[in-house]
Amino acid sequence: MTTVLETDGLTKRFGELTAVDDVSLAIQDEGVTSIIGPNGAGKTTFYNLLTGVLEPTEGTIHLREGDDLVEITDAPTHEVARRGLSRSYQITNVFEGLTIRENLQVARISHDGRTMDLRSRAASDGPINEEVDRLLDLMGLTEMADRPCDALSHGEKRSVEIALALAIEPTVFLLDEPTAGMNSTEAREIVSLVQQLDDDLAATFVVTEHNMDVVRDVSDRIVVLAEGAVLADGTPGEVLTDERVTEAYLGSEAV
Amino acid sequence: MSTGEEGIADRIGAFGHEAVRNGWTTERFALLGLLGLVLVAFGPTFQVYLFTEFMIIALFALAFNLLYGYTGLLSFGHAMFFAGGSYGMAMVLRDLTPHVADVVGSGIAPLVTFGLGAVAGVLLVLLIAIPVGWLSVRLEEIYFALITLAFGMLVFSVIIQNPGGLTNGTDGIIVTLGITEIAGIEFRLGDRQTYYFLTAAVVLPSVYAIWRVVTSPFGTVCKAIRESPDRAAALGVDVTYHRWMTFVVSAAFVGVAGVLMAGLANVASPYHAHWTTSAIPVVATVIGGATFFAGPIVGAFVFLYVRWGISRFPALEAHWELFFGLMLIGVVLYFKQGAAGGLLMLRGWLLDVRGAYDRGGTDAAVAYARESASARLGRTGGPSETEGGERE
Amino acid sequence: MDLSVILWFVSIADIVIGLSLGSRLFLIAVGLSLIFGVLGVLNFAHGAFYMIGAYVALAVTNHLIDNFWLAVVAGALAVGVVGVLIEVGTIRPLYERAEGELDQLIVTFGFVLVIHEVVRFVWGSQPYSMDAPASLAFSVSIAGSTFSAYRLFVIGAAFVVMAGLWLFVTKTYFGALVRGTSSDREMASMLGVDVPRLYTAVFFLGSFLAGLGGALSAPLQSTSPALGDQVIIDAFIIVVIGGLGSMFGAFVGAMLVGLMQAIGPQFIAAGHIAIPFVAMVIVLLFRPEGLFGGIGE
Repeated sequence: MTTVLETDGLTKRFGELTAVDDVSLAIQDEGVTSIIGPNGAGKTTFYNLLTGVLEPTEGTIHLREGDDLVEITDAPTHEVARRGLSRSYQITNVFEGLTIRENLQVARISHDGRTMDLRSRAASDGPINEEVDRLLDLMGLTEMADRPCDALSHGEKRSVEIALALAIEPTVFLLDEPTAGMNSTEAREIVSLVQQLDDDLAATFVVTEHNMDVVRDVSDRIVVLAEGAVLADGTPGEVLTDERVTEAYLGSEAV
Repeated sequence: MSTGEEGIADRIGAFGHEAVRNGWTTERFALLGLLGLVLVAFGPTFQVYLFTEFMIIALFALAFNLLYGYTGLLSFGHAMFFAGGSYGMAMVLRDLTPHVADVVGSGIAPLVTFGLGAVAGVLLVLLIAIPVGWLSVRLEEIYFALITLAFGMLVFSVIIQNPGGLTNGTDGIIVTLGITEIAGIEFRLGDRQTYYFLTAAVVLPSVYAIWRVVTSPFGTVCKAIRESPDRAAALGVDVTYHRWMTFVVSAAFVGVAGVLMAGLANVASPYHAHWTTSAIPVVATVIGGATFFAGPIVGAFVFLYVRWGISRFPALEAHWELFFGLMLIGVVLYFKQGAAGGLLMLRGWLLDVRGAYDRGGTDAAVAYARESASARLGRTGGPSETEGGERE
Repeated sequence: MDLSVILWFVSIADIVIGLSLGSRLFLIAVGLSLIFGVLGVLNFAHGAFYMIGAYVALAVTNHLIDNFWLAVVAGALAVGVVGVLIEVGTIRPLYERAEGELDQLIVTFGFVLVIHEVVRFVWGSQPYSMDAPASLAFSVSIAGSTFSAYRLFVIGAAFVVMAGLWLFVTKTYFGALVRGTSSDREMASMLGVDVPRLYTAVFFLGSFLAGLGGALSAPLQSTSPALGDQVIIDAFIIVVIGGLGSMFGAFVGAMLVGLMQAIGPQFIAAGHIAIPFVAMVIVLLFRPEGLFGGIGE
């Protein structure tokens, strides 16, 4: 087991409010880790800190690159992504006006460091489109590759978004509420997809999730955040029977 | 419907039908376009002038749209690059012509100086665009429009200020293209017909170059940034840097248009830098359809030829801006696809009519045309965002 | 710093002229800022609105009734009505659009062209001048310089309008609605505020102020179809410097720009154009929210 992502004393304050409070976590490259917690526990802020959208008040973040853990604490979003941290969004975020194929081309162009390439043609470029075709096939999107994303269903957009995040060949893939807005059948499909991808690909999966059934099914390890701090950390069996966890959730529901 | 009209419809239908069946490809239509371009050169002098101006404004708008339609940034200061090209050209022609003549001989000096002026114009534009772009792309949306407006007007005030006598203040710099002599043959570069061909020889490759930019990996990333900057950043795209580079590329092509304008108007005028000149590509692009590559070209065509058409009617002549104002409002509110989108819809409709003709001859085609037209006219004028074919 | 050192460079006359310019600019900029602060719309046609105010006031005194004050009220009201028609007819459909802000800017720019031509059609291209009201047609001497009483009156009027707006926004129920909606539209809507109606009301108020500014300024400037294009750019500079959405910022920004325009040419010939734009660029880069943020400030 090797550590791929590590936070040390990570803290974010907005004025008086401490949204993330001294979180020290090491994510290992084996299995799927879920980060859960009641609303307002600081999950989204935690993700935004990891991906460079927000700058932490205190603490450090390190990401594995080859044999080293590289500090990415103050790196901007695009640099974090280039170093191997990819994400999906709670509210699907794809390039709506572009086709699925173009969406994936963008990710591959970025991954290959060819955003300044003016000579080639994106539509017919060999190295870019070989990988795009492979991803389309992997996600079962080949048939609809030339449809613009604003004409897709919610579930299809979710697939495009996962394909986008995978296209940059990440070390760590952060999924933000992947089953949000889905029915239980679709949610189950996502679970098996994530498990399959985790087995097949080198990427390490980290998931935030509301749906407890999904969490139980998908996770090998669960981290519970409450009021910005780590409340519990362990296997699903340990964590989901922890009294403090139940209390945190019931407490939040009572409010 | 009289039989005479049916006869004409029949004949036109049959002609188009034949042409397509006989393998009229894009290349053949392009060749036809080039032929038309040559034919225009032998029209009345004013028409030659008008078409030259159209080509220049089309390039101006097309380059502007790299930033607006493709990357999502509305600049209200692109006149600074238009003027940059004009003034670069004009200053070189004014100050260097005798020196160039000393080196290459007076025969081809005007042509060589023009070439130098063009290079100087684009270099001057890059000199402005690199720092101005670097600063401006830090802002988005309305704020980007405002800061480019401010930079544009700063350039305007520098021109008016006339630093070191370089820009000749409010009068601008007169541009004289001179008489070139090659192998005993004299020709005036400023001759309308000569300048027309020169403009076409610069604009056509520039349009192709911009087409290559938008279809390149670079251009694909531009479109992604337009759709969702944060998603692009999360895939590793340095959004600010990419916007900066797009800004510079866009400015350079606007500079080329400015260079050509100096030669056509025979003056580099401070008006070229004024914000009202920045509004020209905005109007042309929006009316033409910012989401299409050809939109700005169609818009520039509408802009110049509708203005010319209106000038045929003395009562309306002074009020052509009214028409463009109303068109701008109408397009933004009801038809974001603009004129280019309209043309594509027309093409789709004509193809449908042809389909009907194939199935049931003229009667069926006319019946289809009448039905679909009345269905469309009967509909309320709501937004038709989803119709009209591919987006670029 | 010793005041006399400044006065060695700048005369009292320049300062009064600057404040007078600033007062007229304030009356157009404050409505622009108010509309942006609440609706998020940058109204390119606001300068054209100001121009309509001047023309309507001229038309009323020339053709209807020779009463300056009635003409001013008529100018302001006419522009308010024009504003409401434009907002309801063409801007309201754009609030929900993804890239609505830029679309609104372009639509209102369309109205710049339309209003310019309509004005030219109705009144022609020649400049008009208007007499100050008889009650203020005398001169005042300050520190050795002579000013028309009307010029000083307009400066006073700008202060009164600023104070009135401040009281209106901070002390009245409508003002509370305006402040609430400008900070959180969704929340205001959920709390039962009729947001579309409020937007129209604010657009009316902003347009009314532009018309008022135009009408009050008519005796101080020549009124021609180019007027709108001139003042809108100044107004943009002011609201950026003061802070888009801030009324107090519009006041300070207007006075600063007025002074820059009055004093600048003594140092650089094109200074009256260049200096305000330099200030605008600096503010946009280092403090894009402007010197003063927030509607109530």
